[in-house]
Amino acid sequence: MRDTFTVAALASAGRHPVSGAPRACRADAVAMALGRRIAGDALRVVHAGTAEEQSLQDYLALGAGTIEVLPVDPSTDAAPALADYLRNVDIILTGGNAEFGRGSGLLPYALAEALKRPVIANALDVNVERNADADWSIEIRQFLPKGQRRRIACPLPLVVSVHPRAPVELKYAYARRMSGRIDVAPDQGMVAPLLQPEWSVEIASRRPVRLKAQDGKSAHARMQSAIVSEAKGGVVAFEGTTVDKAQVMLNYLREHRLVDF
Amino acid sequence: MSGVKRIDPRRPYCLSPSGLRRIVLGESGGAGFQFGAMARPHKKVKPRRTHEPAKHWHMAIAHSNRGRLDDHAREAVAASAILATPEIGVIAVILGDLHEDIAALGADRIVVIPELDAARFQPQREEAVIQALLDEYQPAQVLMPDNMLGDGDLGRRLIAKHERAAAATHVVELDRQHVSVRWNSGTIFAKSILPRFVLLTPGTVDIELPFVGAGEQTAPPQISSVTEVCRDLGLEPTEMSDIALEEADFIVSAGNGVRNVETIDTLARTLGAAVGASRVAVDEGKLPRDKQIGASGKTVSATTYFAIGISGAVQHLQGIKSCRHVIAINRDAGAPIVKRADLTVIGDAEELMQALITRVEQARNQGEAGEVER
Ligand SMILES: Cc1cc2nc3c(=O)[nH]c(=O)nc-3n(C[C@H](O)[C@H](O)[C@H](O)COP(=O)(O)OP(=O)(O)OC[C@H]3O[C@@H](n4cnc5c(N)ncnc54)[C@H](O)[C@@H]3O)c2cc1C
Ligand SMILES: Nc1ncnc2c1ncn2[C@@H]1O[C@H](COP(=O)(O)O)[C@@H](O)[C@H]1O
Repeated sequence: MRDTFTVAALASAGRHPVSGAPRACRADAVAMALGRRIAGDALRVVHAGTAEEQSLQDYLALGAGTIEVLPVDPSTDAAPALADYLRNVDIILTGGNAEFGRGSGLLPYALAEALKRPVIANALDVNVERNADADWSIEIRQFLPKGQRRRIACPLPLVVSVHPRAPVELKYAYARRMSGRIDVAPDQGMVAPLLQPEWSVEIASRRPVRLKAQDGKSAHARMQSAIVSEAKGGVVAFEGTTVDKAQVMLNYLREHRLVDF
Repeated sequence: MSGVKRIDPRRPYCLSPSGLRRIVLGESGGAGFQFGAMARPHKKVKPRRTHEPAKHWHMAIAHSNRGRLDDHAREAVAASAILATPEIGVIAVILGDLHEDIAALGADRIVVIPELDAARFQPQREEAVIQALLDEYQPAQVLMPDNMLGDGDLGRRLIAKHERAAAATHVVELDRQHVSVRWNSGTIFAKSILPRFVLLTPGTVDIELPFVGAGEQTAPPQISSVTEVCRDLGLEPTEMSDIALEEADFIVSAGNGVRNVETIDTLARTLGAAVGASRVAVDEGKLPRDKQIGASGKTVSATTYFAIGISGAVQHLQGIKSCRHVIAINRDAGAPIVKRADLTVIGDAEELMQALITRVEQARNQGEAGEVER
C-alpha cells in the first residue's frame, strides 16, 4: 500500500495553425489542468526538447509552476527518453495529438509500450480512489463519438491521453508566467533512434489525391460518371404523394446506412 | 420523311430508388427497364479482381457499427484491394457483427469477430486476436480507418507493439508507392514510402470499385481467454437531445419554413437526432440560441443533416460544411440548399415531416429488414 501517487503531464510545443505563433498545445494544456486537479501542486510538467522552446512560457502562464525539460533532439523519437525519465510516475497524462511536428498521436502508445503499462485514450475525467486492497485505482470517463461516454476502471500505473473536450478551466495569468521556472534535467546520454520511415516535406498547397481503382470502363460509362460528378447537387424529388416522398427519404437513409431499421 | 433520327419521347426509362426517371443513353429497353414501375437500377455484374490464388495478403481491420461498415471503414477495405496486385489476396477483419456482404469492397476473405464490437472496451483481447491473424497471414499491408470508434486506438496499439518503425497515421493520400500525411496542423505535407501499417483519414479512398472480391467467410482464430488489466464499467446512458450539436451524428434542423416546432421535436425523437436551427428560426424564438447553426452559430459535423424549411444561405451552409449527407425539405426547388443537398424533397415541410414520422415509426415497429444492397 502506498500513501501517495505521482502524476506527470506532458507538454509538447504548440503552434497556432494559421499564424505559426508559439502557444501551448490545447490538448496538453487541458491534460495539465486535469493533472492539477488530481495532484495539485505535486503535478510534474515535462517537455522533451529544449528549454528555449517559446511555447513553454504559455504553459507557465496556465499554471505549470515548474517545467522540467528533458534534452531531446526534436528530429528523434522522444518516447524512449520520456519513458526512461518517467519510469516511476504512476499516472502520465498526455494530449491526443501534438499540434506541431508530426502529431501522429503515437507517443502515448509508445510510452505505454516501453513502460509495459496500459494506455487509455480520450479521457474526459480521471478520478483516483483508494480501492478495496487499500491501493490506488483510477476511474476514467472516456470520450466516444456520437455523444457516448464510457467508464473504465484501471489500476496504477498507466498512461492516459486526455481529450481536448475535457471539462477543465484554463486560466492564463501573466504573473505565473513570470514566476514560473524552467528546469533542465541532466542529459541521460541516451542515443534516441531516428524516426522512421523517412519523410520528405512540401508546403501543403494542393489537395490530396484520392486513391481510385483503375477501371476499363466504356467511353459511355466514363462520360456518364463525369457528367454525374459534375452536376452539383443531388437528386431532387418532385413527384408523388407525400407518402412516396417520405419513402424516398427513408430509402436514402437506408441506402447510405444512416439508420438502423 | 427526312433523314433526321427521331427520339421516341416515350422511350423506356427506369425509376431510380429515389423516384427519379432515368433514361440511360446507349442502352435500349429490355432487362431492368420497365415503363414507369419502380425498378432497382440496372446492375451489371462486376468481374472478380483476381482469379489467382493468394500468395500474400493485404489486411483491412475495422470495427463495424450496428452490423455495417461506415464509409470510413469501407475505404480501408477498398484501399487494401486497390493496392493489391493479382497474386495478393485481401482479408477483411471485422470486429463486431456484420450483416452485409463486403465482397463488393474487394474483400476476398472475411473474418467476423462479433464479440469484439466497439461498444466494449477490451484492448488486450483485441490485440491478441489481431496478433493471431497477423501471425497467420503475415500481411504485407495493414490498413485501418483512423477513427475514434476504436480503430484509431487499436491501430496505434498495434503500431506501438511492433511496427513503430513502419507506420503512418492520419494518412491523407496513398498509392502503391507512397503515403502523405499532414504535419504542423496541416500546413505541410510529408511524404514517405508506403509503410506496413497505415491508418487512413476519411475521404482518402474512392470506394466505388470496378471489381469484386471472392468474399469467403472464414472462422476467427481461437485464442485462449485474456484477462484485461482495465475493467470496462459500461457506457453511460445518453439522451440524444442532451448531446452537444457539435458532437451529434444526426441533426434535424428547422428553418423559417417550419411552423410547428413540436413536429420537428417529434421527428428528431423518432430518428434519434439532435435538433438544430437556422438563424431566422432562432430569431423568431422558435428554438433557443444555442441551437443556431451557421457562421454566427455552431459548426457541426454530423454524418446526416436534415435541413427542413431552410433556404441554405451561405452563412448557414458554412456551419454544415463537413456534413456528409444533407437531405433537404423545401417548397422551392430553386432554393440554394438544393445545390448543397444530396437529396431534396419538394413539398410542404409540415406534411412531409408528418409523413416521414409515420413511415419511420411503421418501419421501426415492423422491424422491416432494410433491404440494402450496393
Ligand atoms: C453576418 C451574418 C451572419 C449570419 N449567420 C447565420 C448563421 O449563423 N446561421 C444561419 O442560419 N443564418 C445566418 N445568417 C442569416 C442567413 O443569411 C439567412 O438569412 C438565414 O440562414 C435564412 O434562414 P432560413 O433559411 O431559415 O429562412 P428563409 O431564408 O426565410 O428560408 C426559408 C425556406 O423555407 C422554405 N419554406 C417556407 N415555407 C415552407 C413550407 N411550408 N414547407 C417547406 N419549405 C418552406 C422556403 O422556400 C425557403 O427556402 C447570417 C446573416 C448574416 C448577415
Ligand atoms: N516532445 C514532447 N515533449 C513532451 N510531450 C510530448 C512531446 N511530443 C509529444 N508529446 C505528448 O504526446 C502527445 C501526442 O503526441 P504525438 O504522438 O507527437 O502526436 C502530445 O499531445 C503530448 O502530450
